[in-house]
Amino acid sequence: MATTMRFFIATLLLAPTSAFSPSITTTPRSPTLLDASKCGNYDYDVIIVGCGVGGHGAALHSRAQDLSTAVFSGRDVGGTCVNRGCVPSKALLAASGRVREMQNEEHLSEFGITVEGGAQSVKFDREGVANHAKQLANRVKGNLEGSLVALGVDIVEGKGILTGKAHEVKDDASGKVYTAKDIILAPGSIPFVPPGVTVDEKTVYTSDGALELQSIPEWVAIIGSGYIGLEFSDVYTALGSEVTFIEALPNIMPTFDREIAKMAERLLIRDRPIDYRTGVFASEVTPGIPGEKPVTIKMIDAKTKEHVETLEVDAAMVATGRVPNTKDMGLEDAGIETQRGFIAVNEKMQVLTKHDGGEVVPGLWCIGDANGKMMLAHAASAQGISAIENICGREHVVNHDAIPAACFTHPEIAMVGPTEEQAIERAAKEGWTLGKSQGNFRANSKALAELEGNGIAKVLYNKDNGKVVAVHIIGLHAADLIQECANAVAAGTTVQELSMMVHTHPTLCEVLDEAFKGAVGMSAH
Amino acid sequence: MKSLRASGVNNRRHRSPLALPLLVAQTSRQLNPMDCRQITIDAIKPQRRSYLLRLGLRGPLALHSHHPPIQCRHHQRHAPLLRAKRRGHQITMPALSSTMKEGRVVSWLKSEGDAIEAGEAIMVVESDKADMDVEAFEDGFLAKILTGEGESAEVGAVVALVASSEEDIAAVADGGGASAPAAAPVVEAAAPAAASAAVAQPEFDFSKLDMPALSSTMKEGKVVSWLKSEGDKVEAGEAIMVVESDKADMDVEAFEDGYVAAIITGEGETALVGTPVALIAANEADIPALKAYAATLGGAPAAASPVAAAPAATAAPAKAAPKVAAAPSAAASAGGRVVASPLAKKMAQEMGVDISTVAGTGPGGRITAADIQNAAAGGGAAPAKKAAAPSKPKWTPAPGVIAATPTARALAKKAKIDLSSIQGTGEFGRVTVDDVKMATGEKKPARGLLPLVFRHQSRCLKDLSPSLECNEPFPTTWWLRLTVLCSVPAEIEMDAFNELYQSVKSKGVTVSALLAKAVAKAIEKHPIINSSFREEGTYFNKDINIAMAVAIEGGLITPVLKYANERDVLDLGENWKGALSPDEYNSGTFVISNMGMFGVSQFDAILPKGMGGILAVAGTQEYIVPCKKAVLGMKKISKMTVTLTCDHRQIYGADAAMFLKTLNDVMMNPSSLMK
Repeated sequence: MATTMRFFIATLLLAPTSAFSPSITTTPRSPTLLDASKCGNYDYDVIIVGCGVGGHGAALHSRAQDLSTAVFSGRDVGGTCVNRGCVPSKALLAASGRVREMQNEEHLSEFGITVEGGAQSVKFDREGVANHAKQLANRVKGNLEGSLVALGVDIVEGKGILTGKAHEVKDDASGKVYTAKDIILAPGSIPFVPPGVTVDEKTVYTSDGALELQSIPEWVAIIGSGYIGLEFSDVYTALGSEVTFIEALPNIMPTFDREIAKMAERLLIRDRPIDYRTGVFASEVTPGIPGEKPVTIKMIDAKTKEHVETLEVDAAMVATGRVPNTKDMGLEDAGIETQRGFIAVNEKMQVLTKHDGGEVVPGLWCIGDANGKMMLAHAASAQGISAIENICGREHVVNHDAIPAACFTHPEIAMVGPTEEQAIERAAKEGWTLGKSQGNFRANSKALAELEGNGIAKVLYNKDNGKVVAVHIIGLHAADLIQECANAVAAGTTVQELSMMVHTHPTLCEVLDEAFKGAVGMSAH
Repeated sequence: MKSLRASGVNNRRHRSPLALPLLVAQTSRQLNPMDCRQITIDAIKPQRRSYLLRLGLRGPLALHSHHPPIQCRHHQRHAPLLRAKRRGHQITMPALSSTMKEGRVVSWLKSEGDAIEAGEAIMVVESDKADMDVEAFEDGFLAKILTGEGESAEVGAVVALVASSEEDIAAVADGGGASAPAAAPVVEAAAPAAASAAVAQPEFDFSKLDMPALSSTMKEGKVVSWLKSEGDKVEAGEAIMVVESDKADMDVEAFEDGYVAAIITGEGETALVGTPVALIAANEADIPALKAYAATLGGAPAAASPVAAAPAATAAPAKAAPKVAAAPSAAASAGGRVVASPLAKKMAQEMGVDISTVAGTGPGGRITAADIQNAAAGGGAAPAKKAAAPSKPKWTPAPGVIAATPTARALAKKAKIDLSSIQGTGEFGRVTVDDVKMATGEKKPARGLLPLVFRHQSRCLKDLSPSLECNEPFPTTWWLRLTVLCSVPAEIEMDAFNELYQSVKSKGVTVSALLAKAVAKAIEKHPIINSSFREEGTYFNKDINIAMAVAIEGGLITPVLKYANERDVLDLGENWKGALSPDEYNSGTFVISNMGMFGVSQFDAILPKGMGGILAVAGTQEYIVPCKKAVLGMKKISKMTVTLTCDHRQIYGADAAMFLKTLNDVMMNPSSLMK
C-alpha cells in the first residue's frame, strides 16, 4: 500500500504543523456568515468598505481579534497602492534605476567597470519594463487576496454603499444588504485633476495611466512636484525622456523639508534633463495625438492669473495630489457632511457628522486617504488596526508624527515627523528648544564603497528632553534607513539613548549614528 | 540679539565694520544653531578659535541661524556700511565643515556677467563631507570667476568677483573691484491542504511528495527548481526541491529514502497545496511503473481510470484555437486523451492554444507549461514588432511656443545661441540638446544626416566669405569641391619606424605591412576614419580592413589586409600569395596609396567610392633639425609626408588631423606594431 510521504521544511519560518501534513485537510476556519452567532443580530462583527492596504490591514487585525469580518472590494482588491500606486511604481523605479546605473559610464568607470559599446548599448524594452510593473501588481494583489481568504475574511465583490440605516452596507452589484456591528469606511482616493485639464490617459494622464508606461515621451511635463511627480521624473529621465515640472506653489517640492528639497533639487533635478516652472498653474491642458499633434499646456501665473507661457510637449502627467473616493457611497443618506470629499473623524477614527464640531456616528469608522489625515498606505493600515483596537474596547490613537514616509527616487528621500520649518514653529509655540544634528553620506564607508556619497540625514530633537522629533534623510537607501528613526519617535527614545546604541559597521545606518552622536557632542568618526 | 564680551581680544581696537558671517552647520553643539545672535570669538571652542584666528578673523562675528544650504550672507546690520565703499565684492571659498581646508568648485551655476540675487545658489562646492550649494549674500553681477569648475581653492580664498552694478563688471573683473577684503565665511560643521480524493494506486510501495503549505496563507506553490532528477536516489532529510510561496523560497526535504520516480510538477509550474508534485519509489525497479502512473495523475479530465484530477485540472476542454503548434504528437497519442499538467491546460486555455496539437516533452510525453509556451510562440503569430518609427510629424508650433526640450533650452542659453536659428530634429520639429550641440560644434552634425551637414556647411561657407549670400544657389561643382572632400597633409617622423623595419626586415616583414598595421592601430582610436557615408547615416565599419592601392598596368588594384589592427605583422606580410579572391580586394574600409618608392614628395589621392578615407603616402626625406643633445647641436631626421583625403560629409578636418596625430605617435613609437 502506498503511504503518504511527509517532509520537513528546511526553514523554521513556519506556521502550524497541521499545514504541512496533507492528512489534515484544513486549518481551523473562522466563523462565517452562517455561524455568526456571536455577532448577535448582525451578519458580521466588522464590515470594511474598501480593500486597499488600509482595508486589508484592518481586516487582518479584525480576524486576529477573532471578529467575523467581511470586506467590500469594489472589484479592486489591493486598491490604489497595489494596483495603481506604490507597488507598480517601485517596479518601474527598479527597472529604470538599473538603466540609469548601467548608462552612467562615468560612475561605472570609477568602479572599474565598462559597458561594451558604451551607454548607448544599454537597451531596454518599454513593454518589458511595463510588464514587470503589471506582474508585480498582480502578484501582490494575489497575495493580498490570498491572505484574506486564508484568514477567513469574506470578500464581497461589489462596492459598499451606506443605506442610511445604521449598521447596514449595501452591495451595489447585487443590491444585497449586509449588516455589521461596526463598519469601517476605507474607500481610498483617486487622482485629482485640476479644472482645465483634460485627461485622456494616453498623452495626458494621471499616475493611473503613467504606470502603464504606454510610451517613453521625448519630453513630458509633470504637473505637480510632490512624491508622485518626483518618482516619475526619476523613471522618465532614466529611460531617456526630458521633464518639465509645473508647480503652482513658489517652491519646487513644496511639501518637503526645505533643506532636503534643496538638496533634492541638486541631486534629482539640476543634474538631470529636467527644468521647472514654479508659481504657475497649468490652466489648460489639451491632449495630443501621438505623431500628429503635441499636448498643449497653457500656463498662467498663480497670482496674477496672466498667461505666462505655452508648452507643446509629447505627454503631460497630472500629479497634483489625490482626492477622496467618497462619492456615491451613501454618506449624505447617513447624515455625514464631507469637506472636499474628506470624511471627518476623531483621533480614534470614528466618523463625525461634520468637520467642525461634528458628532460621533456610532458604529462607523473611517481610515486611510478618505479621512485625509495622512495619505499613505501604511498610515491607512495603522489607522485600520487602531480602529479595530477601539472597536474591541481598547482605546488607541495613532501617532501620525511617528509614521515615516519615503519617496523612492535615486537616491531616496525619507522622513518621519514634521519638517524643520514646522518643528521650529512647534518648538516656539510649545516652548521647548529645538536641536538639530546631521550625519553625512559622504563620511560613510558603505556609501563611499557604493560611490554614492551624496546625501544627509538630519535629526531634529527636543533639547529639553532629548526626544527625537523628526528625521529627514536624502541619500542611498533612505527609505530603509528611516525605520530606526520612526521607532525612536514612536517610543520616545532620546538622542542620548540612541547615541549609545551600537550601529553595524560598515553600514549606511552609521549616517544616523553620526547624527545621534553629534546631537550629544560625541564624534562618530 | 545679545553680545558676548571678548576676553582675549581687544574688542574696541579690532572692531571691524565687517560682519564676519559665521555659518554654523547643524552639528554644532557649542553654539546653538537655532540662535541668531552676535558673539565674539572667545565664545568659540579653543581649537575652533585658533582656526578662526588663523584665518584672520576677529571681532564681532555674526552668527547666523543656518538655513541650508550654506549661505554666505553678510549680517544685515553691517552690510550697508560695506556697500557704500565698494563697487563690488568677493566670493570666497566657504568652510563647509570644521575639517575642510580646501574646497573644489564642482560647478558654477552662474556665468560671468549673470545677475545674482542674494540667497540665490551660485556655485556647488565639494567638501570632505558633502557637495553643497553656496548662495550669494548680496545682489550683484558675477564679474569674474577665479576658480573654475573642477578647480580647488583654499578656504577663505577668493573664488570670484562680484560687481555691484552691471557697469562695474569690467572694472571689477580687472581687479579694481573690492576695496575691502570680503569676509571669509566660516562654517562650523556644522491552505488549507486540499487533499485530493482517493486515487487508484499501483500495488507496490511508493509515496507521493505533495506541495507543502509553507505559510498559513499559502494556497499554491511554484516549484522553482528540482534538486533531484527522475531516477535519482533521495535520502531522508535531503533537500529535494525548492518551492516558492507567497512569502519566501524554501527547500523542501525528503522524509523517506527512495527514488524520484516521476516529477509531476515541472520547474516553473505551480501546484495547489496538498497536491502531489512528484512520486517517490521505494525500489528502483518500480520507477517505470510509477512513471506511467504519474502520467495518469497529470490530468485527464475524462480518463477511463478512476483518477481524480487535481482541482486546477478541471479546466474546460481547450478551445479550438487559431494558434496552433507545429507537430502534433506523442501527448495526444494515448488514445486521443490529452495528458497535460494542470498549469499547461490552464495556460493553453488562456493563450488559445489547442492542446491536442501540442507535443509533450514532460515525463511520459506529458505536456508541460513550457510546451504550451513554445507552441504559442512558434505556432501563433507573435505580436508583430512595431513598424519602423514613422517619420517625424510636420508641426508648426503655436505662436510664442519655444519648441525646444529643457536641456536644449538650457544649453542654448549657456552657449548664447538663438534657439530659433536652429532647426529641430525632435518630435514635432522640436530642438533637442543634440541639435544645439551641433550648432555649437560640440557634436558633429548628425554624422551622415545629409540635410544637417549641408546646413552646417553653408554656415561655414558664409563664415569664410562674408560676401557670399547663403541663400543663393551655389554652383554644383564648387559646392562639391568645397564640401565633399577634405584633404589634410601631415609630416610624420620616420626614424623610429625605419629602425624597426631594419630590425625585422630579415624576418620577412614588409614596409607595406608595417605601414598598414600602424594605420590600422591609429584607426582603432578614431573609428570615424573607418566609416562610410550612406544616405541613411554614417556607417561605422566594424572591421578595420586596409586596402593597399597598387598600380598595375592599365589601372589600380586594391588588395586588402583584413583585420589589420588585430593581426600580426608577419601574418599580414604573408597575406597575398597567389590570385586574389574578390573578397581580398573588395572588402577594404580604408585605403593606403603608397608612392614613396617613386620619390614623390607629396600628393593627394582620390577617394574611392564607398570609402571614408584614403591616405596618400609620399617618400621619406631627410632634414637637419636643431638638437641640443647632439654633438653639433643638430641632427638628421627623416620625415614622410602623408595626406589624408576623406569624405567630408561625415569626417571632419579635425577628425583627420587628430587621426594623423595619432598615426604620427604610432610611427614614432612603433614597438607596439610588433606585439
